[in-house]
Amino acid sequence: MDISDMIEGNGEWLAGSGPRSDIVISSRVRLARNVAGYPFMSKANRAQRNDLHQKCRDKLLELSGEWNLSYVDIDKADEVDRQILVERHLISKQHACGEGSRGAALSPDEGLSVMINEEDHLRLQVLRSGVQLKECWRVADALDTSLQQRLDFSYSPKFGYLTACPTNVGTGMRVSVMMHLPALKITGDIEKIFRAAKDMHLAIRGLFGEGTEAVGDFYQISNQTTLGRSEDEILSEFNDEIIPRLVTAELNARTILEQERPLTLDDRIGRAIGILQNARLLSTEETLFFLSHLRLGVAMKRVAGLDIHTVNLLFLKTQPAHLQRMLGKAVEGDMRKAARAEFIRQNLKPKK
Amino acid sequence: MKCDRCNKAATIHLTEKNKNGDIAALHLCENCAVEAGYMQKTHISVTDMLTNLIEGQSKAAQSDVQACPECGLSWREFKDTGLLGCPGDYDHFSQQLRGVIESAQNGATHHTGKAPAQNESSAANSIRLRESRIAKLRQQLAKAVEKESYEEAARLRDEIATLEKPAR
Repeated sequence: MDISDMIEGNGEWLAGSGPRSDIVISSRVRLARNVAGYPFMSKANRAQRNDLHQKCRDKLLELSGEWNLSYVDIDKADEVDRQILVERHLISKQHACGEGSRGAALSPDEGLSVMINEEDHLRLQVLRSGVQLKECWRVADALDTSLQQRLDFSYSPKFGYLTACPTNVGTGMRVSVMMHLPALKITGDIEKIFRAAKDMHLAIRGLFGEGTEAVGDFYQISNQTTLGRSEDEILSEFNDEIIPRLVTAELNARTILEQERPLTLDDRIGRAIGILQNARLLSTEETLFFLSHLRLGVAMKRVAGLDIHTVNLLFLKTQPAHLQRMLGKAVEGDMRKAARAEFIRQNLKPKK
Repeated sequence: MKCDRCNKAATIHLTEKNKNGDIAALHLCENCAVEAGYMQKTHISVTDMLTNLIEGQSKAAQSDVQACPECGLSWREFKDTGLLGCPGDYDHFSQQLRGVIESAQNGATHHTGKAPAQNESSAANSIRLRESRIAKLRQQLAKAVEKESYEEAARLRDEIATLEKPAR
């Protein structure tokens, strides 16, 4: 498949079309599976690694008609292409930067991706815009069941699906929601939310998964435990407790800002627009920071003539690999910052 | 990809311009990135959490355990990476892993949730796994009795009894 064709659209995770997608950017369910009869990745030799890769790819391609999957050989892919897949949340940074025989199967709508030979032999991921965890699970479960008719997975009655890292053992399921919580950040209540999340055994990460910081007020919230609770129990906790609580907290913070600190609110939004419309050099971090405030302004209808979809697209297209693919060449340092600022100015022209 | 400074998995990827204006790529694990001043520690990563847990567990003189005969993984290697080498490690290191798993999984010890469909091969597979697990537990039980660790023996006896119950 041609990855360059992908960069025009928002993909699934930034589509901005799902329920409550003003605050909940996307929902994701990820399953970790390992093929029985093979060691985990860290102890697989080159032959076993190649064998696993081929086996998993063939089985996935057998399902490609029904599931509409395309295959990418990550080891042979161009570096910018790999980064584009990371920026579109289709593969992990670890998978892009890894070594050796590995691949990914993707659906063209970018709602489904399967990584082969990442930390586990298989990582199935279903992404949907907004709050749609149950739908993510329905699809992931169905694909997993189809794969299990073709592959034996390592499983023990006591520990469930066996994974390379014991933090994934059991269901092998990581549920996450990517949330945009700028008002909680401005009011300072985000710290309280973090503490509550820790008490509930949730992990909070930044935009690109483990080890990344929360930039642009995007927070990825996911379950930390995978053993001892069924998939339904984990999903219900997210749908009935975690997501509604966080959404309510953010909405309350927005109301407080609107009623008690409208000047602060409009100042943040106005500064963001001022810089985005006029800056000549913009780094990735700065861009995320200001786009976050712009997005808040659009969601709260304090900015005219812009919609969430357009702002989401700016988030994605100003990422380094997307920018370079659009320009058709590799750019670094100030050249890249200048290209980013130029692209944003083009798309955020002041209204006459 | 490995960290440039130590052998852990690199999760932070940076491009830096040095004094001569050359561009250099840096790949660091979170700890080294914090140490080198590239970022501030904002949260505890899952790997860090696990490493801390393993450190705590292995204080109980468990480091003398033999490497896994199947994949060759030593307990020390697991401590460093947080990654197991093969499915058999869950059996081989069951003693050492028990506490690690319980702490990482909020006290949970057993899987509840989706199980493979009971078609012929996977049913046979799960029986095979259960039988090898029971055999292993029996060995451990004999050892525990020999050492007169009766508490441990009682626990093992109960675990064997649970496994021997016919599957639902």
